[in-house]
Formats: sequence, C-alpha cells, structure tokens
Amino acid sequence: MESQIQKIHNQLVAKEFTCTELVTQKLALLKENKFNSVNTVLDHLALEAAAKVDAKIANGEEIGLLEGIPFGIKDVYMVQGTYTSASSDLLKKYKSAYTATAIQKLLDAGAIPMAKENCDSFGHGSSSENTVFGSVKNAVDTSLVAGGSSGGSAVNVAAGYTVFSIGGDTGGSIRQPAGYNKIYGLKPTYGRVSRYGLMAYASSTDTVGPLAKSIEDVAIVMNVISGKDAKDQTSVVSEKISAEVVASKPEGIKVGYFKNFIENDAIDPTIKADFLATIEKIKTAGYQVQELDFFDADTLVSTYYTLAMAETASNLSRLDGTNYGDRIEGKNLKETYMVTRSENFTEETKRRIVGGNQVLSQGFSDAIYLKGQELRKEIEAAFEADFNKVDIILSPVTPGPVPKIGEVLSNPHAMYLSDAYTVGFSLGQLPTLTCPFGTETGIQVTGAKNKEQTILQFANFLNQVQ
Amino acid sequence: MSKIMPVDILSSIKGAKSSEAVDKLFDVIKNAEINQNSSNQNAKNAVSIGDLRADVVENSSEITKQIIKENFPKEKDGYLVVSKVIEG
Repeated sequence: MESQIQKIHNQLVAKEFTCTELVTQKLALLKENKFNSVNTVLDHLALEAAAKVDAKIANGEEIGLLEGIPFGIKDVYMVQGTYTSASSDLLKKYKSAYTATAIQKLLDAGAIPMAKENCDSFGHGSSSENTVFGSVKNAVDTSLVAGGSSGGSAVNVAAGYTVFSIGGDTGGSIRQPAGYNKIYGLKPTYGRVSRYGLMAYASSTDTVGPLAKSIEDVAIVMNVISGKDAKDQTSVVSEKISAEVVASKPEGIKVGYFKNFIENDAIDPTIKADFLATIEKIKTAGYQVQELDFFDADTLVSTYYTLAMAETASNLSRLDGTNYGDRIEGKNLKETYMVTRSENFTEETKRRIVGGNQVLSQGFSDAIYLKGQELRKEIEAAFEADFNKVDIILSPVTPGPVPKIGEVLSNPHAMYLSDAYTVGFSLGQLPTLTCPFGTETGIQVTGAKNKEQTILQFANFLNQVQ
Repeated sequence: MSKIMPVDILSSIKGAKSSEAVDKLFDVIKNAEINQNSSNQNAKNAVSIGDLRADVVENSSEITKQIIKENFPKEKDGYLVVSKVIEG
C-alpha cells in the first residue's frame, strides 16, 4: 500500500478537504466504533490542532509531512491533561501531568492526537482482553481477538480510524497485534525511541514504536520520534532512515531463519507451510538463505517472563493509591495499600506482580531471577553470533492462528507460550518489523541493533515478491 | 518466625498466591543449563557515566503542579489527606 501520510498530506495541500473535516470524520468513526478500540477520544485536542493546520493552509503557508495527520496513542503514554489509564481500574481517572517525549515530538511536527487506545492492562497480555474497558475486537474478523497488548492501536490503524498509532512493545505487543490485524508494526532497537512518559512494564525491554499500513509511513514516523533524550538515559543516537534506500532493491543481503521455530510440533501446519513458501520465494529471487540454530521456545518464553515479571513487580510497586489512583481506604496504611491493589489490578496483572515478587525474593532469586539474567546474556551472545553470519532473520509472528475472543485469558500458560517467536528479539533488544503477509499472522523481519533501515528495505522487497 | 515473606505481603495484594501457570515457567529456568562464557555481555547493556543526567532540581510548570494535586485521591479543607500511618 502507498504511504497514507503522503496521500493525505497531498490532499490537504490541494485543499480537497480541510483538516477539520478530516478530523471530524475520524472522530465520529472512533466514537461509533464496534471494535472497543478506544478508551478516551481526544475531541478537544484534535479539533484545536486541526484548526491550526487549516489556518496555516488558508494563509498559504507550507505544512510539514505530518501536519494534520490523525494518529492514535496507546493508553500507556502520558499526554498532558488527558486520562492515562493503562486500561486499569486503578488509573481510570488518572490525568497525565506531562507529555511523553515520543508523543511530544509528533505534536511538535503537527500530527493530530485522536484517541487514547484500549490495550491489555499495563501491557500485561497478548489479546487485549485483559482490560477494564472490554475486549478489543479484531479489525478483520470481530469474533477474533485483536492481539495485544497494543490491540486498540492495531485495530484503529487497520480500520482506518487513525493513519498511524503509537504502540508499545515489551515482548511482542506491537508486532503480534499488527500481524493479527494485517498491518505493519515496528519494534525498534531498544533505546532508539525515548521511553520517557511511557508507563513502565519491563524497563529493560520496553520500546516505543509505530503501527501503520505502509512501510513508508513506518519510516516517516520513526524519523520523527527517534533520538537521544536526556530524560531517558538508555536512549541512543540513531541515523535517519532513507526513503530512497528503503525503496531500492536490497543487494548482497544474507537471510537466516531459526530451524527449530519451524521444525516443531507447536507450530500450526498452515503457518509452517506458508512461512517455508516465503523462504522459497526469497531463494528464487537470488538471496542466500541459511538455517540457524537457536534456543527452544520454552527457554525463550520462560526467560522473558521471569525477567519481565520481576521488572513489572518493581515498576508497579509505586501504584498504591497514596499520591494518585483509585485509593480504597483500609483501617491503616498497609491495609489501604493491600485493598487498593487487590481491588484495582486485574487477575493477570496480579499474577505477574506475584510471579515477579516470587523470583525476586530470598531463596528464589539465585535459582530463578539471576539464572534468567544469565540465560538472557547467552541469548544476546547467540544473536550477535547469528548477525555475523546473516543480515536478516525471518520468523513467523506466532506459532498459531488468531484465537477467538474468550480463548486466551482462560489459559495463561498457553498465552505465555504463544509469544514464543516475539520475546527472543525483545531480550536481544533488536529491531523487528511485522509485515502483514507471509503467514496468516504475518512475518517478522529482524536485523542487528540499529539496522531499522535494512529491515524496512528488505520488507519492501518481500512485499513486492508476495 | 519464618524468614521467607509470603507473596501476598511482598506484593501488597490480599490473598495473593503463586500461580501454577507461572511456576511452570520458573521450572524451565531452574532446570536450564548455563554456559559460563556469557558474562562479557554485561558491559554492552550498561549506560556509560557520560550519559548520566545531571543531578539538578527542575521546577515543574504550573499546569503540571495543578494536575498532580488534582490526581491526589483525597483532599480536606485545602490539605491532601494520606492514610493513617501510626495507629493510636
């Protein structure tokens, strides 16, 4: 698909419609939507910003590429004065006191904030059913889950309610819903986009990234939101992604895939066959493809969840109703903490907090948490070795097809295992793009750290050979 | 008295118990074999001293201060009320 951002930009400049007309139409769609994809519609902010764009156009001033482009925001990002609930009861009425860096950069570029989008509570889930705002429905088939945790963001883009959305990806939360709703979703290299103003889930793998309908739009948004930020000390300097390079044919690229992801009993036979058919197309196009050995899915999933639960237990310990949030009074301070947290966290969030505290506690930290850290180092070292052999690693997004609503939360262990193909790249802090083709739930294109341009270029080639 | 604090106290969540689904994940880690040559990855993920933020106090804007007060769960006669810390 062509760039939606460029298309709308041209239409605004040609005065085919005003920005206010565009925004009014999209706000109506967001309000009426049948997917449950929105927690708060940002009418006032959106219309105010649209009026400024219209005034510039009416005055004959030039507008930037993102000026007047409607976008969505996963409800875990701070936008000053708006509710930021993390889809939880605890923060349902919490107002952001400041704005996240990535969102501020988009606002400064003139993009129009449309909605805070439904998601799994605190990012804890793979289906966007773990939310107090009701399950998000898939944009392609409403009997299916939207994926998660950035489910509302993926659905809004797929349904055309937003031109792009900003999701968050800790273990697959942009890539998996992108695949489930047949759009693109990029998890950038850890640190490429500042995490300041993102409600923390697992700080060592949390990333900020775009969901969009075209590769060009992913690149446009990334070039605006990337960069070092004094407010996030783990952020890094990065080079701009060149639209010309992305559009050109990749030369001399070596491709690999993890043999054990494909040759096991857990993968759906159709997903396996479709993935291998894509590999054949790549070979036919003249590229070298290597099979690689990697960690088994159980080890990847267990390592990821051990560390993510430990980090979320620590990050969410501040949520006790003292300074903000829905405080429920008990007979003393401790009782107040306990009742507030028991009543206001969802079952899945509580499961992860408890798991995290278990592995951090005396007697368990050596055997589980510290061992998990060691395994992560091995996984990172294995990625480094693999990227000395190949430039791109391909994998399916999920082992199975999109589940029906109601199937996921009832079996948490199966839900964790369904993240088998996404969590490894998170532990490696690598850039990975989900493309909406290749298998029913898409295909992941991964590169070494900071190789976003290479993966977008290769994805563009893959799109052409589909 | 047991040295191990129960998970409901550790988590400040009433009636919290460990979960079988999560314990299955931890069992995989307990049984995993570790290769001892991986510890050189430590330095790669560390933030360098030069990247540390200056330790300075920055004043918040009026709107930020106002929202922070608005978010406070309980207010009485112009004071922000916290739960009783010391029992009489």
